[in-house]
Amino acid sequence: MGVMRIGHVSLRVMDMDAAINHYANVIGLIHTGTGPNGEQLFKGWDEWDKYSIILTQSDRAGMNHVAYKVEHDADLDQLSEKLQEYGVKTTMHKAGHLPDCGRALHFTMPSGHEMYLFAEKDAVGKAVGVRNPAPWPDGLKGTGAHWLDHVALACEVNPDKGINTVAANHDLFRDALGFYLSEQVLVGPDADIRVVAFMFRTTTPHDIAFLPNEKSGLHHISFFLDSWHDILKAGDVMAKNNVKIDIPPTRHGITRGETIYFFDPSGNRNETFAGLGYLAQPDMPVITWDEDQTWRGIFYHTGEAHAPFTEVIT
Amino acid sequence: MDFSGLKGIVKHITQITDTNEEFECAEGKSILGAMVELGRKGITSGCHGGGCGVCKVQILKGDVKTENMSRAHVSADEAASGVVLACKAYPRSAVVLTVTGLLHKNIVRGANAKSSK
Repeated sequence: MGVMRIGHVSLRVMDMDAAINHYANVIGLIHTGTGPNGEQLFKGWDEWDKYSIILTQSDRAGMNHVAYKVEHDADLDQLSEKLQEYGVKTTMHKAGHLPDCGRALHFTMPSGHEMYLFAEKDAVGKAVGVRNPAPWPDGLKGTGAHWLDHVALACEVNPDKGINTVAANHDLFRDALGFYLSEQVLVGPDADIRVVAFMFRTTTPHDIAFLPNEKSGLHHISFFLDSWHDILKAGDVMAKNNVKIDIPPTRHGITRGETIYFFDPSGNRNETFAGLGYLAQPDMPVITWDEDQTWRGIFYHTGEAHAPFTEVIT
Repeated sequence: MDFSGLKGIVKHITQITDTNEEFECAEGKSILGAMVELGRKGITSGCHGGGCGVCKVQILKGDVKTENMSRAHVSADEAASGVVLACKAYPRSAVVLTVTGLLHKNIVRGANAKSSK
């Protein structure tokens, strides 16, 4: 089947204690272990694999890598071949290269982001178990996020120099990894320059998003919540904990997601979002947002620019 | 209401030379945090975590206490010469600063446009 879903994100943080407090007590993830190099591992209560977040100590913020899980170990060999046919250099790492994971296939996206594919990761199970489970576990903290849902990457786009790594990433993910396009923003005199691409392998509107920026970096990582009311409550949690909110609760036009954005203590942007928007399928007609409707696509209610949202990255 | 005369919270004046703005900042608040809370716009507001770098400023006068700032945005040499991220700088005296961050030009242009009206 190839790529199933997002597996984890490895983040750089500048104050590990503050980061642990944020991801455990504000986002409400469960601490599941420490890696061989002191990495701190976390998962959402509704996830079964051992971790979806890796925190690493650094002198700067940002993302080390993003990893997606494939269904079968043999998929790694097939996808490695496809990536190489496409002209992308790959490295197959032995089991254990990623903490508690089997073999890991590494490559670098045209935008410069590091990515791994893996098939096996130690499983510890959902917090509610699998026999006659309750709908939610007791003792959840903060927003009580269910799972890491997607990542949005800021990708270098510089039309004057002929650089568009949003388009290049899109083509690679479509042709070598079997991702589908759900929504896009097209700009330029002929409205044919793809500067935003939302892509999926699951049945949700996006498992990864590519957004344009002067340089590449992390735009945000996003966690799933059930409902609009959970988004409101997430806002309360941020205020209670003096977390810097970037965008208060609102709705996106693109994906229809109900959302709130905020920053972790190192400045990495987080989102909690609710509503799966719609059922994404390989044969779903692609949704296009025009250049003059981009802000309506981003913030559906106001349709107005909020420069830090598009410009601030780590 | 302004209770600063009661001396309950120690506050210092921060002055932004680029826009000729002044505002008060309590010792417990970052320069950027205090500015944003007052609805002022002289320094670009970003992540407030020392990670994104858009609030980069040069301290010209005064003392600040700093916390973690991304080396990707403030080099060791810059830090030694008083360059800080305003979101991670806490005043310990009256401060005079100039903006060096990402959107510096836009802000100065905006302020000039406003003052010429």
